[in-house]
Amino acid sequence: MANLLWLQGGACSGNTMSFLNAEEPSACDLVTDFGINILWHPSLGLELGDNVKAILEKCISGEIPLDIFVFEGTVINAPNGTGEWNRFCGRPMKDWVKDLSAASQFVVAIGDCATYGGIPAMAPNPSESQGLQFLKRAKGGSLGAGFKAKSGLPVINIPGCPAHPDWVTQIVVAVATGRAGDLTLDEFHRPKTFFSSFTQTGCTRNMHFAYKVSTTAFGQRKGCLFYDLGCRGPMTHSPCNRILWNRHSSKTRAGMPCLGCTEPEFPFFDLNPGTVFKTQTVMGVPKDMPTGVDKVGYIKLTAAAKGMAPAWAEEDIFVV
Amino acid sequence: MSASAATVETLDISPVGRVEGDLDVRVEIDKGTVTNAWTHAELFRGFEVILKDKDPQAGLVVTPRACGICGASHLSCAAWALDTAWGTTVPRNAILARNLGQLVETIQSIPRHHYGLFMIDYTNQNYAASPFYAEAVKRYSPFTGTSYETGVTISGRPVEIYALLGGQWPHSSFMVPGGVMCAPTLTDVTRAWSILEHFRQNWIESLWLGCSMERYEEIQTLDQFEAWLEESQRHANSDLGMFWRMSKDIGLHHYGKGHGRFITWGYLPHEDRYNKPTIESRSSAVIMKAGIYDGATDKFGPMEHVFTREDMTHSWYDEKGQFHPFDRTTKPIAKNTVDPEGKYSWNTAVRHAESGALEAGPLARRLIAGNTGQAFQHHDGLVLDMYRKMGGASILLRHFARMHEICILYREAERILREFRLNDEWYIKPTEKDGRGWGATEAARGALCHWIEVKNGKIANYQIVSPTTWNCGPRSGDGQRGPIEEALIGTPIKNKHDPVEVGHVCRSYDSCLVCSVHAHDGQTGEELARFRTA
Repeated sequence: MANLLWLQGGACSGNTMSFLNAEEPSACDLVTDFGINILWHPSLGLELGDNVKAILEKCISGEIPLDIFVFEGTVINAPNGTGEWNRFCGRPMKDWVKDLSAASQFVVAIGDCATYGGIPAMAPNPSESQGLQFLKRAKGGSLGAGFKAKSGLPVINIPGCPAHPDWVTQIVVAVATGRAGDLTLDEFHRPKTFFSSFTQTGCTRNMHFAYKVSTTAFGQRKGCLFYDLGCRGPMTHSPCNRILWNRHSSKTRAGMPCLGCTEPEFPFFDLNPGTVFKTQTVMGVPKDMPTGVDKVGYIKLTAAAKGMAPAWAEEDIFVV
Repeated sequence: MSASAATVETLDISPVGRVEGDLDVRVEIDKGTVTNAWTHAELFRGFEVILKDKDPQAGLVVTPRACGICGASHLSCAAWALDTAWGTTVPRNAILARNLGQLVETIQSIPRHHYGLFMIDYTNQNYAASPFYAEAVKRYSPFTGTSYETGVTISGRPVEIYALLGGQWPHSSFMVPGGVMCAPTLTDVTRAWSILEHFRQNWIESLWLGCSMERYEEIQTLDQFEAWLEESQRHANSDLGMFWRMSKDIGLHHYGKGHGRFITWGYLPHEDRYNKPTIESRSSAVIMKAGIYDGATDKFGPMEHVFTREDMTHSWYDEKGQFHPFDRTTKPIAKNTVDPEGKYSWNTAVRHAESGALEAGPLARRLIAGNTGQAFQHHDGLVLDMYRKMGGASILLRHFARMHEICILYREAERILREFRLNDEWYIKPTEKDGRGWGATEAARGALCHWIEVKNGKIANYQIVSPTTWNCGPRSGDGQRGPIEEALIGTPIKNKHDPVEVGHVCRSYDSCLVCSVHAHDGQTGEELARFRTA
């Protein structure tokens, strides 16, 4: 049995919607099979108004032991650091977040907004948004760089826009079944078990990547999305092609370039003119290289690969 | 504020709903009935501000993330807005794929809203005396109810089809000006068929209808619907039968009326009629008709974007008067103090230039579906017949209209799977240029549209008017209430410390806002209760 409280700040509810797609376990299984007691959730909880405020206050006072505090959405500080542009139960949400985080065994930031600030924190960041413990790549965020929950772990970041439901449910199950000690986090507080491999790991276009055969425009049945369409799969940490989305697919499998949404910089280049769905290049060489590859190596490798690309690689492969 | 101030109590409901942000509601109660109401949105994220000066295609990435619940609808608007601005050509396969994405998102939303948000209220102690109460608790209790668990879990299946097209749901950006990113194969189509079939067998027919879709689709009038209910125990005891009978038992057909005027942009452009998309030709190309309907006069009218006005009199923006969205500047004011006489919401008051406040949503769509149209357009008169015979809108009819769409959307999804020509093109690369564009659609919860102005290769202005903006907006400068504000008038409140009736009204709009109620004593200002309504 573990008490879980879920709140939303500057959020679109996308992580909640993603969470509801979960299977093995489903959201209902978490409650009925794993003893997760969902104290309250903004779209699912039964309690209303005064009862909600009472739950929050009892969590803060310790009367209700709070095991897992899940936060979705940015922490809004506008205007001028007051947080009044996101009030909840008559109080800035940022103040609830601070008090509840201090009272919880584990704090889980779900989605890009709660982890790094995401889209709302994009320039000019009109809502003065932050993530719980980061703003983009900079450590600190709303709770401060030194924050640790009662368990001793800092905020567990589950990024993604949205996060995959399994990334959330597996962490919750790990905590509920006493395996939280096995959780190891990377420098951006992401569980390594999910975020050490790349989005490209397991992508169905890997052979085309290897031979530098490009998908030159959308709607094609071949090629790799990295060379022309701005795909960030080779330098983004996520298991999107290991743990498939909605049981069937992933963006890169379906023909959509990876946007790098599990990395702190998302959305990359602040979506400035000329940067959307276009690979950024200098003298024909991508500005952002696959992780760990240098420019000279890249030029040598791709020249050789292109020269030896087999004929089939230029023909349609994902055919009817 | 009221002539009988001595008996009036004020009830503040905070928060009230989710996605555009938190919505709070304040109601005044006189002798157990709501006599006045204010809705105020309590979250500002500033997507329009963020999009200024960005890449013209930034809306494809940003706007699905304005709402994790209606992302396909936002993406669809963002893509069509650019199509009209750039003058693209969109292949028929791409129109079909965009429509299918939207359809499966809405099909997902129907059981998720019904069980996750709406039916929970039927387990409220308020209804303990109803003969349906014990059964409601068994079926609809959160997480453990028999129908709740099945309905919420199976709601994830339709969007698996979205993942086949766009890689994931929510938050794909697979619709782009000139078409779509994907080129589905035969196995994608056959899998999609299988998913639809599973959903039909395991929810629509077995749990929701208690009969075949074909039998349900024979129903054309209120009389035929009532005859269907009585025809068999399976119909009466289905989740639809249970919803209808218990709603009547607890009086949900008696309140939640609203202004009685409705808007839909129409949606689902026909695959052979909108390949050269323009702002002007859209309404005559959509399968689901656009229009407005006035219940008082029983008259229909056209709906075009030029009629749209936003009024900031009672909104936290420094913009005076009424503007068409192309003329807006989106200047938030820093001090967002709630003042029912002055400014009290982040929502603007959206108005039709001639018809004023209009209600958006499935009820609007279903009423206008009863109007005449072109031969290729969808027609369905059931909800219009019910509206005319049941004395107008109510909580019952508004929610029924939403649920009634399930079979209609399912059939359209099936048709699309037959219409795809897998070896034809999915995308025609467009030429980027400056210009103005408009993209509209119907999200699950109603009329949604985007306006874009591209200047010097970047976004000069981006404006979104969502169904929640229509429905949850505040008063306009002339004092006319917003649609939900108006619909709350006349709501009976049995227990002012737990006014679940206000929740029913707000949730019948599926307003995407987390709602709760602060109840205040009208004399002393003391807070009596506070609760969530969505």
